[in-house]
Amino acid sequence: MGHSKLLLAGVSALAMVCIGLPAAAADKEIVTVVKVTGENWFTRMAEGVDKYGADTDGITARQVGPAKADAAQQTAIIQDLIAQDVDAITIVPMDPSALEGVLRRAMKRGIVITTHEADNLQNTQVDMEAFDNHEFGAHFAEQIVECMGEEGQWTSFVGSLGSLTHVQWADGGEEYAAKFPGMELVSPKNESFNDANRAYEIAKEILRTYPDIKGFQGGSAIDVIGIGRAVEEAGLEDRTCVIGLGLPKDTGPYLETGAVDSIAFWDPLDAGYVMNILTKMTVTGEEIKDGMDLGVQGYNNVKVSAGPGEGIIVRGQAWVDVDAANYKEYPF
Amino acid sequence: MSSKFYDGQLGFLALVNAMVIVASLFLVGPKFVGLYSMQSMATQVSELGLLALGVMLAMAAGRGGIDLSGIALANLSGVIAFNLAPQFATAADAPMLYCWVFAAISIIVGILGGAINGTLVGYAGLTPIIATLGTQMLFTGIAVGLTGGSALRLGYIPPLDDFANLPVMGVPISFALFLGVAFALAIVLRYTKYGMRLFLLGSNDVAARYAGIPVRRMYFITYTIAGMLASVAGIIIAARTSSVKWDYGTSYVMVAILIAVMAGVRPEGGYGRVICVVISACALQLMSSLFNFMHLSNFFRDCAWGLLLLLFLAASKVDLSMYLRFRTPVRPGRA
Repeated sequence: MGHSKLLLAGVSALAMVCIGLPAAAADKEIVTVVKVTGENWFTRMAEGVDKYGADTDGITARQVGPAKADAAQQTAIIQDLIAQDVDAITIVPMDPSALEGVLRRAMKRGIVITTHEADNLQNTQVDMEAFDNHEFGAHFAEQIVECMGEEGQWTSFVGSLGSLTHVQWADGGEEYAAKFPGMELVSPKNESFNDANRAYEIAKEILRTYPDIKGFQGGSAIDVIGIGRAVEEAGLEDRTCVIGLGLPKDTGPYLETGAVDSIAFWDPLDAGYVMNILTKMTVTGEEIKDGMDLGVQGYNNVKVSAGPGEGIIVRGQAWVDVDAANYKEYPF
Repeated sequence: MSSKFYDGQLGFLALVNAMVIVASLFLVGPKFVGLYSMQSMATQVSELGLLALGVMLAMAAGRGGIDLSGIALANLSGVIAFNLAPQFATAADAPMLYCWVFAAISIIVGILGGAINGTLVGYAGLTPIIATLGTQMLFTGIAVGLTGGSALRLGYIPPLDDFANLPVMGVPISFALFLGVAFALAIVLRYTKYGMRLFLLGSNDVAARYAGIPVRRMYFITYTIAGMLASVAGIIIAARTSSVKWDYGTSYVMVAILIAVMAGVRPEGGYGRVICVVISACALQLMSSLFNFMHLSNFFRDCAWGLLLLLFLAASKVDLSMYLRFRTPVRPGRA
């Protein structure tokens, strides 16, 4: 028992010494904590974080995240960062409500806390949202209306009625399209439950029920994939307009055939960059003003509003539209 | 040289703790061993430690004992307590009463859930790994059903928040609770008939039955206690995150098993010490936080845990205890 274990302990200690640690200078240290490491989305965000660190003097920026998408692991990472006395932490929460207690104590210790995709979180100084959800929905509808020639039947999808952002997108789209008398919304807010197969089944049903339907607005990122498959099978690529949230890599094949006309998303690279800009501004005490230009495409005229707690919410108009022509530029 | 309290495993684990702390001084500087950092680690270790104690009990009882349902039950007890507690007290009017009601309901759920495990293993004679995998899914399913899959917010309830984080004389209350529970369990295992029978049962359940030990009831009690420990972890999780959710800590199952195995609990049953589990949990927490301080990837940690688990399992097969008695320097045990 003893020997093998002592040896093991010795080896692991030696390994630790060898790995070492790059000593940080007197730079301000901003750490970005993401939901999970190793996903394309957050790998791209890390590029933005690194870019910000390289572009900015006096700031050390790095990104960390758990190996598994588990709120417990994310909380543990944040607690250890607080104990390290980093200057600022900017977080994409796995589950905003699970972090309230930890973040409250972090702020009491004078650590700057900012967040992304958490506009219901109370204990944050700045929450950054890529766009206003209603505007994003309206943006989809705008394209659908144009594509349909301002008339015909259309419908909308959501991941689930419990996903607040999806419902807001659908509502935003509905409000926009209501301005056009020729647009007829049929059976809105179909729930795909974030399952491409379910989206496919529903889309097939809708095509049977409303054979003349021309427009589909996707909600969750996989809705367009399911809808696209149904449209492709029905051979209706040219007659229908399928537009919604989607990721370039997954949706690529359907963009190629024209089953999906266009997708939009926000670029995690820019989001990571802007999170760090806002965090640095908070660290140095610069005021974040309504209408400010943060120097990043889509964040040239940010809207600032009060958050649910003491903090503020900063919103850009940072959606990126992608179609068959340019989807290959985005490797995620 | 060897007393009843001290043994090689204990000394080894204490040594690991000491080595990690010494290594941290070289690698990340004194901040790691600062008061705040230590308190932060102490609040993190409590919930995992309690789950590991449950795993230890199940393992010590033998017959391939293990409890995979721990974290699922912890989350479920939080979810049910969240749903039922407002019937008895509201957080706004009587926060203190609310917290006690919350805790009481959690523990009742934990005992009931543990009793289901105990019935399946003890009376129905199911293999623990299958039975608790089944109940893990059952508990998770109920929790998802009750919450619709999203987190339910408790909000900021001062007594609950203090319980999770406030240090009293430097020691976080949740950590003190963990130590208290561990101490009570250690006393039960060492000085009661139940404790003696548990280890006899784990060593050889056939012999135990012929010796007149009520084997079924023993399994039932053991898994029930494990369920209760899980629910205490559930209370700490709810307090620490001020919310309840079905999938919190899904990565804990494996880590709790690692802690128990590292503590020298025999996976075949019949041996396990509470103090070793406590120190083993501390060692793992120290390492985990050190990795974070060193900016190491979290994949590295998962890999390291897997490696440790395999190494300790292998080490437990090699009996060098004779050898050890002469070789290991005597160190004071840490509690």
